[in-house]
Amino acid sequence: MRIIVALMYALLGTFLSGHAQEKGSVLIKHGTVLTITNGEMENTDVLIERGIITEIGQGLVAPDGVETVDATGKYVMPGIIDAHSHIAGVHINEWTHPVTAEVTMEESVNPNDINIYWALAGGVTTINLMHGSANVIGGRNETLKLRYGAGLEELPFEGAPQTIKFALGENPTRVHGQGFGVQPRTRMGVEQVIREHFDAALDYKRRREAYLKAKKEYDNRPKGIPPLPVARNLRLEVLADIIDGKILVHCHSYRADEILMLMRVFEDYGIEGYTFQHANEAFKVAPELRKNGAHTSVFSDWWAYKFEVYYSTAYNASILNANGITNSINSDSGELIRHLNHEAAKTVHYGGTSVEEALKMITINPAIQLGIDNRVGSVEEGKHGDVAIWSGHPLSVYSMCEKTFIDGKKYFDRERDDDDMRLKIDPEADYEEPARRWYEREKYEDSCLQGAIVRFGEEGMSIQQGSY
Amino acid sequence: MKLFRDSILGMILFIMIPLAGWSQSMPARALDNVTIHTAEGKTIETGTIVWRNGIIEAIGSDVSIPFDAYVIDGGDSLYVYPGFIDGLALWASPDLPAKYSKPEAPGNPGYERAGIQPHRQPNKLLAKADSFKKARKHGFTTAALGLKGQMLPGQIDLFFVNGKDTGAYLIREGIGLSASFEQAPGSFGNGAYPATLMGVMARFRQLWYDAAALREQSAYYASVSSGYPVPARDEVLEALYPAMDKEQPLFFKADTKEHISRLFRLKDELDFNVVLVSGKEGFQQAEELRKRNIPVLASVDFPEEPGWRVKEREGEDEAEVTEEMRRFRERQLQAYQARITNIQRLIEAGVKVGYASNGMKIEDLKKHIQILMDEGGLSENQILAMLTQHTADILGIGDKTGDLKQGHVASFTVFTRPFTEAEAQALYSVSGGKLSEFEITTSEKEDKAE
Repeated sequence: MRIIVALMYALLGTFLSGHAQEKGSVLIKHGTVLTITNGEMENTDVLIERGIITEIGQGLVAPDGVETVDATGKYVMPGIIDAHSHIAGVHINEWTHPVTAEVTMEESVNPNDINIYWALAGGVTTINLMHGSANVIGGRNETLKLRYGAGLEELPFEGAPQTIKFALGENPTRVHGQGFGVQPRTRMGVEQVIREHFDAALDYKRRREAYLKAKKEYDNRPKGIPPLPVARNLRLEVLADIIDGKILVHCHSYRADEILMLMRVFEDYGIEGYTFQHANEAFKVAPELRKNGAHTSVFSDWWAYKFEVYYSTAYNASILNANGITNSINSDSGELIRHLNHEAAKTVHYGGTSVEEALKMITINPAIQLGIDNRVGSVEEGKHGDVAIWSGHPLSVYSMCEKTFIDGKKYFDRERDDDDMRLKIDPEADYEEPARRWYEREKYEDSCLQGAIVRFGEEGMSIQQGSY
Repeated sequence: MKLFRDSILGMILFIMIPLAGWSQSMPARALDNVTIHTAEGKTIETGTIVWRNGIIEAIGSDVSIPFDAYVIDGGDSLYVYPGFIDGLALWASPDLPAKYSKPEAPGNPGYERAGIQPHRQPNKLLAKADSFKKARKHGFTTAALGLKGQMLPGQIDLFFVNGKDTGAYLIREGIGLSASFEQAPGSFGNGAYPATLMGVMARFRQLWYDAAALREQSAYYASVSSGYPVPARDEVLEALYPAMDKEQPLFFKADTKEHISRLFRLKDELDFNVVLVSGKEGFQQAEELRKRNIPVLASVDFPEEPGWRVKEREGEDEAEVTEEMRRFRERQLQAYQARITNIQRLIEAGVKVGYASNGMKIEDLKKHIQILMDEGGLSENQILAMLTQHTADILGIGDKTGDLKQGHVASFTVFTRPFTEAEAQALYSVSGGKLSEFEITTSEKEDKAE
């Protein structure tokens, strides 16, 4: 049976991806398996064959040629999924226009980013590489599997639905309204930008289809006046696909009022299955979110880094979860991504969320939000062999991720964690370069200001005097 | 040496006559008693080249010189090579603005500000006439000249490198379109769309879609007598038609393995012909380039040799090398060597490799040729073929120029020593039959001063 399952998935994978991703086989024995969807299973073996979990049980025997890993005293959990990440990107934000749906992070992937390896070391196997938040409707995001070293073509999560970034509030109004004097200058303007572009997309779709039909008819039988061409328009095409439910929206948002606004807009256009990112005030509108089937993806306890996110609470995730909303905890950071297990643990610490529910927030819940929960996010037969082995319970601060597998292939092993794991060395780089970290270089950026005068003028905010 | 140079003073005067004034009755010229190296790798000792009307009439060791020929006697001390061809040179392009102002609408900045100028023609814009002389002194007799810019900087025109009034020496215009993944100039605050790599990818697609629609409207307009809207002229979109028809390849600059992948993707989607320009990590895509029959106009702009290696070689003392440092050095050296053996690996994989300076300073060429010889795994003959015949083939002029053959264009350079030697200097340059002579300098300093 399990061979048939494995073959079926392998075959399906080949059809979907068009090129062969490297799959591995491994038998992980005697671990405590945190299945996520079927509770905790002690002293249990997990068999992964050709990238697919084929059997979970006790006393499993490794097929010929399949490596066995002893996980006695250790925990086996599905690979962590980060629903909001900006690692492994060449450029993050095509900030130049309030709407840039035509661009896609799929074409901005840097497969050599060392941050991928660091994330693997934190048990992360899948990320949502997101476009930035300068635009009301930004570019499409790309769901990646962190197959470090496999190259550009091998990183995309084959068959994952497309998602797209929206952004409300201060970022798009600052960049476009304040910076360039164009709509949106206010939160009201943000709503209108969305509505106007959706309407334009619907109009475009209608005109384009009518033109293609007329062209076909005219080219077959050239009589009368030929049709006037309607050029294919990538931006409007993507927007029309959002309305058609082909692309999932992930919206950068903070305030409760703007969250309500977007839900009203989406209701008008029939858009469903969307996720509010950050959503620091989402707890205020939890019943409304639940009613609309909206998801949230939040920080555990990070806020007050700008005015619109002044008000928040470390209970946000727990309140949302208690209200039946599919909530995930994300990193949005090359540093936080390395310990999303701790971030999830904070929901237990602050809000009294159960351990099981907390683990869901970094596994199956983000998988649901990315539309990949039928393939990853839990340890289940038939799902992808994306798992991590932890030295202890992953919500303990004393535990460390020891091994990380994607499609049954090992991409991180703490025992083979060399000093320099970069994939690519610049022949002109100096020896000190790899030791530097971006968050150390910029460590003063988000620090507390003391005795400063903050002025708001035509050109935005400026800081005078004061010290960090 | 000085004596025989004086003897051709008359000839120098003669070459001031413009090409247009030539006729069938033009006297021949001959270069006698020289060592001739062909692009095919043959060496002709005590050879002779005879040319007339810009075409090689005869070449070999046993050639009779026509009675009417002006003769330069090489005295058996000079070396003749087919003229080098720069597959894409920017050295005559106007410079880019030093500063770009903040556009009024960065999301819709207009073609020029976005770096989309495929209609621009180098032959109408070339700025730096003195760069032609410099190129000749370094052995170049033919160059495909492009313009500095961003994603679509302009057309590429093919020139003889032989005159101040460069427009008169245009061989062919529009042999290709320059292209790259470079975003519109400026950064956050004063940049413009497309400001990112993904924006550039999307913009290429949209340009193709817009051009296709305009073209279709024009075709419909032409097909009916009345009642159909007049298409708006758009020189930018119209300039893309030859590329869409695969009549004009995109000379696409890309270096990294990933960028070359992205180029394949765009090519597959929009269906254009490509010449890969620069391709510093081309070896990582060598098999795919061969399969797709994409030639490479390679960069020889190599990275600096790691400083520690230079010190090590020169025996300079330095602090203790830790194990971690040693491993780093090993990897850095591998990365360096991968770059300098790029061309060799491309050639071995069966990829056609020519040369393009594409912004590299011409003065650096000799240094990098030396690296290619010493550590890059290429022989002098391979380097010569890359700089001449192979580049000519890629530019589509290989049947007319690129080698020293009877019937080919008379384009060659006479060096004082084999061209790969550090002391080698060009004494004469013949480009499209036109002869120039250079002063021989005795030190590097003088060379630079000139």
